[in-house]
Formats: sequence, C-alpha cells, structure tokens
Amino acid sequence: MSPPQQPSSTNPNSLKIRLTHRFLHNLNNLNKKRSNLDNTQIHQRYNRVKLAAYASMAHVVGSRRAWSRAILWKIRNRKVSTRHKRVDHKPTNHHHARSIKRRTTNHSNPKREYVDPNGNSGQEVKLRKLVPGVETMDACGLLDETADYIKCLATQVEVMRNLVDLFSTI
Amino acid sequence: MLHCHYTTMNIPGNTSGTDVSVLERQQARMKWRQQQQQGLSNDDHCFRGLVEIKPDPGLQYGWPDFSDACQDQLIPPLVADHNLKKRKTHEDHKQKAVSKENGVKDKKIKRCSEENSTETSPKEKPKAVETQKQEYIHVRARRGQATDSHSLAERVRREKISERMKYLQDLVPGCNKITGKAGMLDEIINYVQSLQKQVEFLSMKLATLQPRLDFDIDSLIMKEMFEVPAIGYSSEVANSTYFQVNSLLEMGNSPIDTMLRRSIGGPVSIPETFVVSSCFNQMQPGVTWDGDLHNLYRMEIQQESTTIPFQHKFTGSYEGSNLKMEL
Repeated sequence: MSPPQQPSSTNPNSLKIRLTHRFLHNLNNLNKKRSNLDNTQIHQRYNRVKLAAYASMAHVVGSRRAWSRAILWKIRNRKVSTRHKRVDHKPTNHHHARSIKRRTTNHSNPKREYVDPNGNSGQEVKLRKLVPGVETMDACGLLDETADYIKCLATQVEVMRNLVDLFSTI
Repeated sequence: MLHCHYTTMNIPGNTSGTDVSVLERQQARMKWRQQQQQGLSNDDHCFRGLVEIKPDPGLQYGWPDFSDACQDQLIPPLVADHNLKKRKTHEDHKQKAVSKENGVKDKKIKRCSEENSTETSPKEKPKAVETQKQEYIHVRARRGQATDSHSLAERVRREKISERMKYLQDLVPGCNKITGKAGMLDEIINYVQSLQKQVEFLSMKLATLQPRLDFDIDSLIMKEMFEVPAIGYSSEVANSTYFQVNSLLEMGNSPIDTMLRRSIGGPVSIPETFVVSSCFNQMQPGVTWDGDLHNLYRMEIQQESTTIPFQHKFTGSYEGSNLKMEL
C-alpha cells in the first residue's frame, strides 16, 4: 500500500520493516506450535493473532519504553500462568493462575470518571487505561509514551492491513 | 514606624531571653519586607541599620543566613530598577532548594521590583530559557510574569506539556483545528481506541484467513509488500525475493533455513525452494504422499503461469490434511 520510504516513525524504514519481520515470525511460530485446523475456534486463533501483534510491537520497540515493557511483562506473566494451568488441572490452580494475573495488573485507578485526588481529569485516567504501563507516570511522561504508542500502533495497523490485503488477493 | 521598631527591638533584645527575640526578629523581618515594598531608597540606611543590629551577639544560629540573604536581596531590587529582567542568582537558587520560607521572601522582594515594571509586555521579550541543566533548572522569568520558584517550575512543566501536545497533534490526524488540552485529549483517546479496535478487527480477519495459508509464503509477501512487481519470476525478482527471504530468515526459522541453505548452490528457481521447504515442513507428520508430491512439483514447474496461487492451494491442502488436488 504505502511505499516503505514513507516516514512512519523515528527511523523511517526500519520500524515498519522490523514490525513485519517480527509479526510474521510470531505468526509462523503460532501456526507451528499449535495445529490450528479450519474448524477449531476462530476466537482462539483471533486471540493468538492479537497477542502476536502486540508482542511483536513490544519486541520491536524493546525495553526503551514503559508501554513496551508493560506488554512484555504481561505476556511473560500470562505464559507463566498458563504453564501453571497446564501442569495441574485443578480448579484451585486455575484460581491461582487467575489470582496471579490479577496481582500483576495495576490496581491504581478504579473505574471512576471524576477528578482524581492527584488532580488528574477523567480524560487522563482514560488515557492511562488505554496505554499500558503509564499508570504511575506524570502528565509529561504520559504524553510522551502516548505519542510513541500511537506511532507504533499505527505502523502495526498498516502492516496488518497490508497482510490482509495480500492474503485476500492471493 | 520603622524607628519605633528600631527602638522596641533594642530594649527587649538586650534584656529578655532568647524566646522573645526570635519572635520579634521574625516580626521585624516581615515588617522590613513590607516596608521595602513601599519605598526602597528611603529605608535603605534604616534597613542596613536593622541588619546590623539584628544579629545579636548571643543568638547567631538563624542570623548569618538572614543577613547574607538580606544583603543579596537588597542589592538586586535596587539594580532591578534599571533592567527589568529579574535575575535569579545562584544564591537564590540555593535558597530555593534550602527552604521554602525563603520562597516567600523571594516573592515579596521581587514583587516590589515587579511593580516598577508596570508594563505587561508581550512574551517576545526575554523568554524563559533553560540555561544550564544542573540539578535545578535555571529559568528566566519573562517580563511581567510572576517569578516564584513555584510558578517558574510550573511554567516549565506546562511548556513541556504543551510541546508534547503539539507533537501529538501532528501524530493524530485531523487535530489541527482543535485547540485546548481537553479537546486534544479527547481526540487522542478516541484515536488510540480506534487504533486498538482496528488491530482487533484485522487480527480477526487474519485469523479467518490463516488456515488457508501457510506462512512460508511470507517471503513472497515481503516482496509484495515492498512493491516489487510479482508478475513472473524474472531473475531480478528472484534475486530480490531471495535476499528478502534471507533477511527474513535471520530470525532463525530453522527448518526453512536449512532447506534454503541446501538449495542455494543449484540454479533452482525460488518458488520451487519454497514449495520444497513447505513440503518438508508438512512431510514430517505424514509421509505417504511422496509420489503425488513429485508429480505436483513437475506440474507446477512446467506451468509458467503465476505460481503463487498454485502454491497457496497446494500447501493449503496440506494444512487441511486432505490431499485435495485443486489445480
């Protein structure tokens, strides 16, 4: 769709290229790991693709950014919890896994739309919920992370759209 | 009035104990500042007199700072009459760091020099400059603006935020007309939400498309994505795909990697290697289709139409684990 010379990020060509590489690699891995046949739940596959998309985004950016670190951390915890699930198929462990997940999530802002005691408006709270990893940042850093996150999301969307177009035409 | 103070200060300072004098010193300090606001030149010598008297012999813990500070702040307001820039000297910065009471002091002293500069000038005048980034940010106050340590720091913070908002405005499409932080934040939130929804939607689409496709085609995709025309496998195209495949394979997809390495030497056309590799991937589970495989190979190589759909259908059939000859 768009030529690779279009500046999409800090380093114009490389972000998109790296994202494509990484995303395809992740998808490949996904396909190979689990045998996804035609008729099995599309929902499951959709979740995995989504996870692959975010994971590839986070991996490309690395640990430079708070949001990418948060995503990578979540993924790692999710893997740990699924491993727990697999080892003992007991409901207790299931709860354990779920509680692990819950413990790792941030509890800082419950769902309220009023002005926080810190002086955050409702909008900032929303933004903090949307962008991962910015819960405890000041307004300045929040905007910084949001900008980077938007950049990466936009490139990821572009990459995925290209892929879909390609697959649908093939 | 000052003279009254002068006299009243003298007497108790000499006679009574420490407690009273501290309080009186504070009071005198406050009144000194107030009077300084009213008129500088008149009270100069009086102040200086006060300063001399204040540091009582017995009690010096608080005073040396005060006296030094006094003198420093005496001088700038006088000089500030001439240039209307408010200078924050290094000592002022120290004070800012040390205690907040001094912040109050700064406010009042600088307010008096502010009153001298009655013009509320535009902001093109000496702008706030972050001269050096030491521990403290040295900022120059603009003309006609408050020069608190607090308000200066807040102004710096606000400028940082507005700088980032401008950058975000460039990122988010269609935000040029919107001014104001609240509207911008709304737009940003909407945009992030819409991007995330798009990712979800596209991943759903990919998930539905996936079973029919094997991702060994990904190298071809790479080629297509970077808009190299994929009409036929001319040599340049083949070379480019080859290089892209190599770059892709840096990630280390081992079975494909080994297959390609094996096929590097021979004058093999690229699609064949893909087919070979994909076959090898699929062949591990079920090996019964050897003969048919070779037949298909030959048919594919002979046919010189676009090999991509063939490949796709070919491998797709493997995915489904049924050998449906869709040709």
